[in-house]
Amino acid sequence: MVKGPLLAAGLLVLVGVLASHLVLRALVNTQERHLREMALLEFAGVEATIGPFLVRDDIWEMFDLLDCVTQREGALQPLQATLIDPLGRVIVSTAPEVNPIGTQKASMIATATPVAAEHYDLSVGEIALSKVLQYQGRPLGQLVIAFDTTGFIAERARTTGFLIAGNAGATLIAALLGFWLMRRVLRPVARLTDEKGRRSDALTPIPDTAIPRRNPEVAKLYDTYNGLIRAVAERDATTRRLADRERFVSLGRLAGTLAHEVNNPLGGLLNTVDTLRTYPERADVVKSAADLLDRGLRHMRDVVRATLDVHRDAPERRPLTLADLEDLNLLIRPEAERRGQKLHWDIKLAEDRVAHLPAGPVRQIVLNLLLNASSVAGYGGEIGLRLEGEGNSALLAVQDSGPGLPEHLQSRLLSDAPLEPGGGVGLRLVRELVQGADGRITLGQSAQGLQEIQVHLPCSGVGGQDA
Amino acid sequence: MIRFERRRVLCGAGAALLAMPGILHAQPAPFRFGLTPVFLDNDWQLLDFLRVHLSTKMGREVEFLQRRTYKEVTALLLMGEIDAAWLCGYPLLQNIDRLSALALPIWRGQPNYSAKIITRTGRAVQGLEDLRGDIHAYSDPDSNSGHLVTVSELLRQNYRPEAFFDRSFFTYGHRNVARAVARGLAQSGSVDGYVYDAMKRAEPELVANTQVVWESELFGFPPIVATRETLDSEPVQSFFSALTTMRESDAGQAALHMLQLDGFAAPDAHSFDQIAARMRIVAERG
Repeated sequence: MVKGPLLAAGLLVLVGVLASHLVLRALVNTQERHLREMALLEFAGVEATIGPFLVRDDIWEMFDLLDCVTQREGALQPLQATLIDPLGRVIVSTAPEVNPIGTQKASMIATATPVAAEHYDLSVGEIALSKVLQYQGRPLGQLVIAFDTTGFIAERARTTGFLIAGNAGATLIAALLGFWLMRRVLRPVARLTDEKGRRSDALTPIPDTAIPRRNPEVAKLYDTYNGLIRAVAERDATTRRLADRERFVSLGRLAGTLAHEVNNPLGGLLNTVDTLRTYPERADVVKSAADLLDRGLRHMRDVVRATLDVHRDAPERRPLTLADLEDLNLLIRPEAERRGQKLHWDIKLAEDRVAHLPAGPVRQIVLNLLLNASSVAGYGGEIGLRLEGEGNSALLAVQDSGPGLPEHLQSRLLSDAPLEPGGGVGLRLVRELVQGADGRITLGQSAQGLQEIQVHLPCSGVGGQDA
Repeated sequence: MIRFERRRVLCGAGAALLAMPGILHAQPAPFRFGLTPVFLDNDWQLLDFLRVHLSTKMGREVEFLQRRTYKEVTALLLMGEIDAAWLCGYPLLQNIDRLSALALPIWRGQPNYSAKIITRTGRAVQGLEDLRGDIHAYSDPDSNSGHLVTVSELLRQNYRPEAFFDRSFFTYGHRNVARAVARGLAQSGSVDGYVYDAMKRAEPELVANTQVVWESELFGFPPIVATRETLDSEPVQSFFSALTTMRESDAGQAALHMLQLDGFAAPDAHSFDQIAARMRIVAERG
């Protein structure tokens, strides 16, 4: 909230600098005008007098006249005056040692500034101005007068000093005033920023009592902000509900498989019960039937327990084990077999590394992704799971032989963009679980050319076996 | 150094005039005295002292007429526009049939002076030959020391004056010659020895960076001149008397002090022989 006032203060400083520049430019223009007027007077005075002297070739009178010009004291004192004939030779000069009579000094005319020029260079302490002198309508030659402009430079330096001091003071005051005013004007916005910054994840609406109703614009701003907060809260709630629903949708999908898994051994088990009823006296049959029942029921128990573990409302914070991965295999294998799909299962991560991953999130992530993989791989396709270490992280790659994740489903998995209605129901749940475990998701391909959704999870997610 | 209080001198002169009722009643014609800046520069204070002394002694008003050149003043004198003039020996001799020397200033005890050629300080000059190709400053074409002497000396040493210097010009004032040389406008200059020495005392800064590289023999000092026909007239004789009694009044003494002169005296017959000799050198060359 400091940036705005600082910008205002900076603008005021810029205005100050610009104003100073304009004042100095105006001063230079005034100095040029002053010099021009002074020079024209000097030239006119000499021109009115020197003609007869030049006609008589009266060197001394010409020298004396020009010398009088250069003896004038005060501002813009002429330092030197030289009269040059049309062939560029010195007729007379008040600096005869530098410009002796008769020497070629056409260069002096070339370097001098014509007195009628639009601008003069006043950056150095001396300027030579020239003018063609006429006598009875005939050009006599050029008079070059060098003027002392050190006074101008000193005046500009003084003015610059005053401007710097004055403008710096005025600008500082104006900038501070501007800073204060801008702060005051932007205070409502600052409050919003403070509210946002106080708790980055939990925005709280501004209490109605704190809304200044006398200031309609600020009140409208706060109302809009509160409306926004409510909209965000509603969106979050919707997302949470959607995530819950997704979990149950995946459960529903699994239900068919589950029923199949339970139903398959159920016929055999009932047959075994009939066998037991028919041959209760035969110990060998009873033992065999009991074993068969035990295995069938244990299988059913495992299937049910695995399903419950996956869809437990509050996922336990226990470490992942290889048994969890076997459970996942147990759950997905019937689905794969039902679709005639080949299941790859490649677990390269050691037990001690596996234990650093959280069991609950990993089970849900893998199951959802495998269910999606099975769905997109189609009948007779291939799906798989690859788990291996990569530095301090673990890589969970769920593979399928499908055409790859479509664009609209990628956004569910890889971004927080709002959910569009349609397939890929569990993908946003996967994203939230991965984010919750401080992981990240990438897309790739396996060495065999299968599409991969790669989940990178830090191995420090759970503090060890007992965490 | 004697210091004169101008106001006291002028008041004294006024009182003296009031004490002479005859003069007031007669109202004689003013005496017109011609001057040039060639010799005597425009110093109003000096002219005031001269006017007070002369008018008091002569019992008539004295007017000063100033012209730029000797030629102009000589013309005025010849035409009777002025009664006397402070000229140079050269224009006097040029018009000796009409003009006559009335009085000669006494400088350092004698009515003589010399001509000098000056350059800027530090320049090594063994003889006039070293000045060949200079830009040279003369004072006046009719000045003895400021023109005639240098030209005749060049002729005497078998140089051609018109080709000796690269360029020459006239400044119409011995003081200006010194200024021109001091400022570097001219590399050398012909100057009146009396004026140069007077400047060394009165304006040392003007001649500080000049030096004398050649000096002539002595000549008769620039004289006060009148026409021969008026030489014995009462105003001219009264004027002569006032000149020779300069020391008797405060204003006269003040004027002499400023002029650095001792007084005025009557010329002798050979005062201007040396100038005449120089004129002959020039005349012989044609």
